[in-house]
Amino acid sequence: MADAVVSDFKATTPVVQRKRRWISVGRHRSIVGFLFALPLIAVIALLVLYPAGYALHLATLNKSMQHFVGLGNFTFLFKRPTFWAVVEQSCLFAITAVIFKAVVGFVVAHVVHNIPQKGQRKWRGMLLVPWVIPPAMSTLAWLWLFDPSYSAFNWVFQHLGMSEIPWLGDYRWGRFCVILVNVWVGSPFFMIMYLAALKSVPDQLHEAAAIDGANWFQKIWYINLPMMRNIIQITALFSLIVTFANFDIVKVLTNGGPVDKTHVFGTWAFNQAIYSNDIPLGAAVSLFMAPILAVAAFFILRNVRKRGNEA
Amino acid sequence: MASVTTAAVAAPARFGSISRGRKRTLYWSYFFLGLFVVFFLTPPLYMVLTSLKSSAEIGLANNPWWVSHPTLENYAALLGSSQFLIFFKNSVIVSLCVVSVTMVIAVMAAFSLSRMGFWGSATLATGVFLTYLIPDTLLFIPLFKTFSWIREVTGIELINHWWVLIVVYPTLTVPFCTWIMIGYFASIPKELDEAALIDGASYFQLLTRIFIPVALPGIIAATIFAFTVSWANFLYPLAFTTSTDQLVLPVGIVTTLIKGDVFNWGQIMTGALLGAAPPLIIYAFLMDYYISGLTAGATKG
Amino acid sequence: MKRMFSRRGLLKTGATAAAVGALPLPFMHGAYAAGSLSVGWWDHWVPGANDALTKLCNEWAAKEKVEIKIDYITSQGGKLMITSAAEAQAKSGHDMITLPSWYGPAHTDDLEPADDVWTELTKRHGPTTASMTYIAKQEGHWIATPAISNTLTLPSVGRIDIFKETVGLDLTQMYPPQGGTPNKELQDKWTWDFFLQAAEKCHKANHPFGLAIGQTDDTANWIGAIFNAHGAQLVDKDGNITAKSDAVKHMLDYFKRLTQFLPPDVYAWDDSSNNKALISGQAAFIFNPPSAWAVATRDAPKVAEQCWHFPSPKGPKGRFDPAQASTWGIWKFSPNKSAAKSLALHLWETDSVKQLVAASKGYDIPCFGTLRNFDTWANEGPPKGSIWNYPPRGDVIESVSGSPGPARIANQMFAQATMAKMIAQHTQQGKTADQAIDWAATELEGFMRT
Repeated sequence: MADAVVSDFKATTPVVQRKRRWISVGRHRSIVGFLFALPLIAVIALLVLYPAGYALHLATLNKSMQHFVGLGNFTFLFKRPTFWAVVEQSCLFAITAVIFKAVVGFVVAHVVHNIPQKGQRKWRGMLLVPWVIPPAMSTLAWLWLFDPSYSAFNWVFQHLGMSEIPWLGDYRWGRFCVILVNVWVGSPFFMIMYLAALKSVPDQLHEAAAIDGANWFQKIWYINLPMMRNIIQITALFSLIVTFANFDIVKVLTNGGPVDKTHVFGTWAFNQAIYSNDIPLGAAVSLFMAPILAVAAFFILRNVRKRGNEA
Repeated sequence: MASVTTAAVAAPARFGSISRGRKRTLYWSYFFLGLFVVFFLTPPLYMVLTSLKSSAEIGLANNPWWVSHPTLENYAALLGSSQFLIFFKNSVIVSLCVVSVTMVIAVMAAFSLSRMGFWGSATLATGVFLTYLIPDTLLFIPLFKTFSWIREVTGIELINHWWVLIVVYPTLTVPFCTWIMIGYFASIPKELDEAALIDGASYFQLLTRIFIPVALPGIIAATIFAFTVSWANFLYPLAFTTSTDQLVLPVGIVTTLIKGDVFNWGQIMTGALLGAAPPLIIYAFLMDYYISGLTAGATKG
Repeated sequence: MKRMFSRRGLLKTGATAAAVGALPLPFMHGAYAAGSLSVGWWDHWVPGANDALTKLCNEWAAKEKVEIKIDYITSQGGKLMITSAAEAQAKSGHDMITLPSWYGPAHTDDLEPADDVWTELTKRHGPTTASMTYIAKQEGHWIATPAISNTLTLPSVGRIDIFKETVGLDLTQMYPPQGGTPNKELQDKWTWDFFLQAAEKCHKANHPFGLAIGQTDDTANWIGAIFNAHGAQLVDKDGNITAKSDAVKHMLDYFKRLTQFLPPDVYAWDDSSNNKALISGQAAFIFNPPSAWAVATRDAPKVAEQCWHFPSPKGPKGRFDPAQASTWGIWKFSPNKSAAKSLALHLWETDSVKQLVAASKGYDIPCFGTLRNFDTWANEGPPKGSIWNYPPRGDVIESVSGSPGPARIANQMFAQATMAKMIAQHTQQGKTADQAIDWAATELEGFMRT
């Protein structure tokens, strides 16, 4: 939307008799503007771009960081079965978690939207709690719920006569658990975004559809979904970035185990860099998020631009 | 839900079946709401239950969903421990500083990007969001180098000091806050600032007298966002701080309360609850601002 | 004998090197009137052990007029490893830091050699253990000073009552407290095959053994020992991959049988899970130093009274106790290396060691044979004598996980818990023994990276 703003500004300026003055004002304006944005530029350049460039450099060094190996670390990674397992799990983790977050958020937004207005605030407040607690803290609660010797879930299962579940001991359950916790933490965000989108759907549309005899499913499918499409996309893509780069949940809950099956890029990079003392390899693994995220970035950019033009 | 009332009140006789259908939908809605609330609130509830148990009771491994001898000893122990209070203090200082720094940077940048413009400002406005594509798990290793470079140049030691977090957290908060603020500032009519400028106001006056007051709800939303992020981040403090007097809450709890000691879980859950309390309290009061602030930008499209 | 001789020889060369390269030893005591020192000690698991260390450090600081700052850093969640890696990267931080077992050799390039300290220590206390030498001496140099806390073994901890009732074995008779006559016959029967039968019986009695097959240090330690007891080595001392052997296959087969008798989620256990299993009263047996028992004396006294520490079962190659030799590393970037060395020497005074061992309730095992006869191990209880058999004695061989492989490979095997992952592939994830071994061999090839 900023381009829109800038072009608007250009469109309003050509008042012929004041042109000379406006140029100097314009120059003054852009210098001041640059100064105002300078802290932002400094933060991004010094603490994001410079380290990111340095990470690129690190990824081309050998393990002891003494000489340049070019793409050696990447060709090394391609030969590691564990690396491919991490790629697979990262994608599985991020995509499944985002889909479930979107579905849960969608359903919850609808049920909250369905109940009378005056009760909504209370329910919404309760449903937001998972998102407000710092994830490292709430994951501890989950860890304790999944504890091998003291699992409160297993206690319930035992008393219902069912067998206990090795929550974090079996890799399939382990994967289920990290996704479950991620969905638990993230779906409230989807809920509020979707709820806001739902509120912007005009009631008349629903009334008209009701008169035409549309059932609830048709109303959702033909009215709500198209109206919410933009926000669903933006939210899902934003969440995809964050979920791909997840660190705290996996680190606290499974630390990648059993047998590295629950590692995602972030935790495995950390593992290689810190536990195996192989910093260049850790940097190379982290960099792998970049192409995947760049695809997401492309779509996000397109959407943000669209939003700007419509604004 | 205006449509419920309109439909039900306006035409109860003609659309009786619809009204009955509405009622059924309503029951189902409450049913699902109940289910989701159980799912969403089980872990926090379990935190509360566990925090009220003594180590001995947890060790007995009887009904985990019931507290037979409720005790506040975990709370007393933590609130009486200077170590925990230091974590808390560090968290508060770090979060307040980060919020202030973030808001100054974000508001100024958003004002500049949405109103003033300079060479490359349009690219920057869209590109600022892309910083999130470079995740903290990639940045923390090279940041060590950045910090040792800063040490060599300025003599300021950042590593293993809480203030390192004030330096790095803005990378997580500033882009999103700038984005929110750009959205807000864009909605302010341009005639307003043109008139003010012609009246001889400086850009700084324009920002403080007109933009900030008008965009206050957005500023509140961005502030809460910045606070939540800086309160919750885990990786940076884990990597950059070590000494117990420099830790912030999430890392402090995870690294000092989890020990070989087995039944410390009462204290761990208490710590986690106390750590979650400030953001929860802020939400309880300011939730509406936050939600409208977050969603205002997004729903505009 | 021959080995002793060669070690002495090496020490001599080390001493000359130190004399040429560094200041003569007397300078290390009180040669400076001020300065500051910041140390990062491992956060001890035994309640109260940190306090004794703090006290000794402060005494030293007062005597030497050094300003000391002590941080206790937990190894839980990898915090200590993260800290050492971070400091090595940033070239700043503590002057001296505890490096648990393999994390010392991993940082060789960043550590100040400690040959001079070792010369003095061997003069005082005699030769050190083979396990400490294996860790702390790399390419002819002592890379760091030995650590007192966190140097330990992880032998058997069994429940006296459950073993008597279910297995029919009196642990206190097999390994009696000080003064008792060890039952040689029972000890000879205490083998890994017998262990398997005992595991089955206890599993049937609802008290399964608490043996972690996770990805943390405890797992790597005990599995390293059972592998060595069977001569199953993934890498030999020259760095050749020897994973494809009958001994390794036998181990996988053994674990296939053993894991049936373990709780299903041992694959997710961390260093504290086995402690929990013991203290909760569920587990009849774990491999651990006395920390689990020490916590139990506080939180579950009934369980603690029934705990007995004794050496590991015997395998075809001997009786190997899992051993962890830790070091106090002094960073090359430290501005006050001589103070750090002086502190290490102070802590290694016989009297200091005695206090530390007592405060850790016998948990710490000094790496010098001459310092293993304090009365702490005889007197701690209840039950009295529980840890008398904890320090290695008799036929016990201390085994470092990954030994005898060269450091750069063995330390990765340890950090990545390669053996445990190989076992999990076979026993949990349905891979055949050959597939699991092939997988491990590929991993090991990756560890050759320099």
